Amino acid sequence: MAETLYDRDLTCDVLVVGSEGAGGPTAINAARAGLDVLIASKGRMGRCGASQMAGADFNLDGRSAIALGLPGDERDSPERFFEDLVREGFFLGNQRMVEKYVEYAARNTADLLEWGMPVFRFEQVHAEEMARGIITSGVRWVRILRRKAREMGITVLEDTMVVDLLTREGRACGAVALDLRSGEVVLIKARSVVLCTGGWQQAYHFNSAAADLTGDGQAMAFRAGAEMIGMEMVQYIPMTMLWPPLARKSILPYIMMETEVGPLVQLLNGEGERFMQRYDPTTMEQSTKEIVAIASELEVEAGRGSPHGGVFFALKHLTPEGIDFVWGKFVEFLDQNGDKRSEFRKLLPHLLEMAKTEDLEVGNAVHFMVGGIKVDERTRTGVPGLYAAGECSGGLWGSVRVASATTQVGAQGRIAGETCPEYVGSVEHAEPERAQLEAVRERIMAPLERSDGARPIEVLERMYGITDEYLRVIRDGEGLQNAYDELNWLRRDEASRLHVTASRTRRLNREWHLCLELENMLLCLEMSALASLRREESRGGFYRSDFPYTDNDRWCVNAVISNRDGEPSLRLEKPVVTSMQLPSGRMTFEEAVASGTASLRRGEVEQP
Amino acid sequence: MTRPTIKVRCFRYDPETDAEPRFQEYQVPMEDGEMSVLDCLRHIREHLDPGLAFFAGCHLGFCQRCTLRVNGKVVLACETTAGGDMDLEPVNADEVIRDLWCGST
Ligand SMILES: Cc1cc2nc3c(=O)[nH]c(=O)nc-3n(C[C@H](O)[C@H](O)[C@H](O)COP(=O)(O)OP(=O)(O)OC[C@H]3O[C@@H](n4cnc5c(N)ncnc54)[C@H](O)[C@@H]3O)c2cc1C
Repeated sequence: MAETLYDRDLTCDVLVVGSEGAGGPTAINAARAGLDVLIASKGRMGRCGASQMAGADFNLDGRSAIALGLPGDERDSPERFFEDLVREGFFLGNQRMVEKYVEYAARNTADLLEWGMPVFRFEQVHAEEMARGIITSGVRWVRILRRKAREMGITVLEDTMVVDLLTREGRACGAVALDLRSGEVVLIKARSVVLCTGGWQQAYHFNSAAADLTGDGQAMAFRAGAEMIGMEMVQYIPMTMLWPPLARKSILPYIMMETEVGPLVQLLNGEGERFMQRYDPTTMEQSTKEIVAIASELEVEAGRGSPHGGVFFALKHLTPEGIDFVWGKFVEFLDQNGDKRSEFRKLLPHLLEMAKTEDLEVGNAVHFMVGGIKVDERTRTGVPGLYAAGECSGGLWGSVRVASATTQVGAQGRIAGETCPEYVGSVEHAEPERAQLEAVRERIMAPLERSDGARPIEVLERMYGITDEYLRVIRDGEGLQNAYDELNWLRRDEASRLHVTASRTRRLNREWHLCLELENMLLCLEMSALASLRREESRGGFYRSDFPYTDNDRWCVNAVISNRDGEPSLRLEKPVVTSMQLPSGRMTFEEAVASGTASLRRGEVEQP
Repeated sequence: MTRPTIKVRCFRYDPETDAEPRFQEYQVPMEDGEMSVLDCLRHIREHLDPGLAFFAGCHLGFCQRCTLRVNGKVVLACETTAGGDMDLEPVNADEVIRDLWCGST
């Protein structure tokens, strides 16, 4: 009878869901501790998720850097790094998690150097996320993790989508997955499960990330009883290519802004004005992602945008010779480091050539999920045996990510891999409950079996319509209420009756996979809209035009969402404090800008 | 305003049900004047034929999983401009799981 519920079954000590920046180190460290580890990845290891696309930069404080033989900075310290992160995250971060981040940032770097990660450059001053650490390549990083996992003999199920978690008496005891190639349903029995599934960027039409990031981890954790935190905190990256279409979604202009060329670039509105002088006259275009994103969108809202709804990234004033010189410098840097990434080698020269005669159009893309599955400093969720590491987790950054995510995911991966062995040693495998297996099987198969219902592409387009209209950088109460109502309806009434309209094959049937992903994306969006609606203030990267100030007296609290009979239910919770007291009073937008960019300006002053 | 369209001939094959591969032709409007081959495939899947199997990953040349043949030449669909009518085929027809998706990519 069980045979009808799944096609294959596997058993392991730890199931790691997701194979990249967080999943790799989780698996490697759990295997080091002697556990039997299985990775399931929706893509192929080293070729999926956001990690491969990262710049990438790895942060650590200057003093720890020196201890590793890197050209760090004595004036820096773990304490100072900690304080910058808490203050610039506007105090919503869990301070115990931030302490662990700082501690494990150095360990993560040491691991990666030991495993052969190249260092292209070391940047000394904390200037938002691109400094206080190593500049390298995301592709090289994930390939190194893959090599290490292979050396250790870790099994990876590739092109395998985990659909739901299984629990027994409230503890995680495995998961059900869909082998995307064969269409087989796979039962995985595990003593513990670590979610390393990344963000839900695909719920937004204009995003910078990879196609596999659809909030599956957050949604399945929610269904299994775990809580979410900071779901309203979505990081947008400004200066993402809108036009020309071949370059759409590339963050190359943003990356250029972070290099030596940055100060030469001008961001212009539709009237040819360098608008950043009205928002952050000190750091101008070099301001934080959040501030440039808010400023760009305010320009668009005021009718001063570019034809495709963004702003202009202008280099023309440098003259063609100047632009060739810039490209020459880039090539030098790339050659020095043997960097072959096609975004730099092919797309960048194409764009620079264009930039000689026209300004590029750039806009705000959904980039990084600041919130996610609520965990503690050891990556534990509230569900025993269930852990979450990397971008799918929440609680570390507070209201804005001001340092490296690649460091976060590596550090939390290592912590998860070190934490779960103790738990695994204390529990036996639990037999999954038949009723749960039946329910998951039914969820998976229903879209293939229904003869009519909602069309997945239509639901996808409606979802994009909602995110495009209401869930933007600048939000307001009315729009958020509309977003919440429409998303709630879409999830409950439409996503529950999706059906595959074309091929009924179980092999590589993208329309079918989309049905499963839509439920997850809609749930994440709904939770994000709910938390955004509740937060009646602006903070960090979160901006409400109806409450354009930071209100520490009322809102220095986190929005935590739990599962009440299947529906998201929100409560407010004070951040975990260790050594930095929470602030009081109100800050205007201008004051918040000054506070959020403090370490950027300190860098300028202190640089010898 | 009528937008210019191009003819895209796609390799279709399901080794489990089809005796042999065939080509299917789609008319794809060049929405923005400039489109990548991957954008064309997405257009087909979203508007014309949700059953077409191909891989779309990072869109920017990192994952390299959208490797296929455009008019015989092996390229990444995401970084190739769709210029005029084209034939799309899998890298290796012997390894096809379905349509343009090969076991090795
Ligand atoms: C273009 C871009 C550039 C960036 N640049 C930088 C940078 O320079 N510095 C920086 O610090 N950060 C950067 N970031 C952010 C950073 O790269 C990510 O936050 C980080 O790499 C996420 O790592 P992760 O392992 O948590 O998730 P990911 O790398 O996204 O991996 C998620 C994994 O989970 C898998 N998965 C998802 N759902 C399922 C499922 N249902 N079943 C099985 N597997 C599943 C995926 O296939 C994948 O293997 C960038 C992000 C982007 C998009």
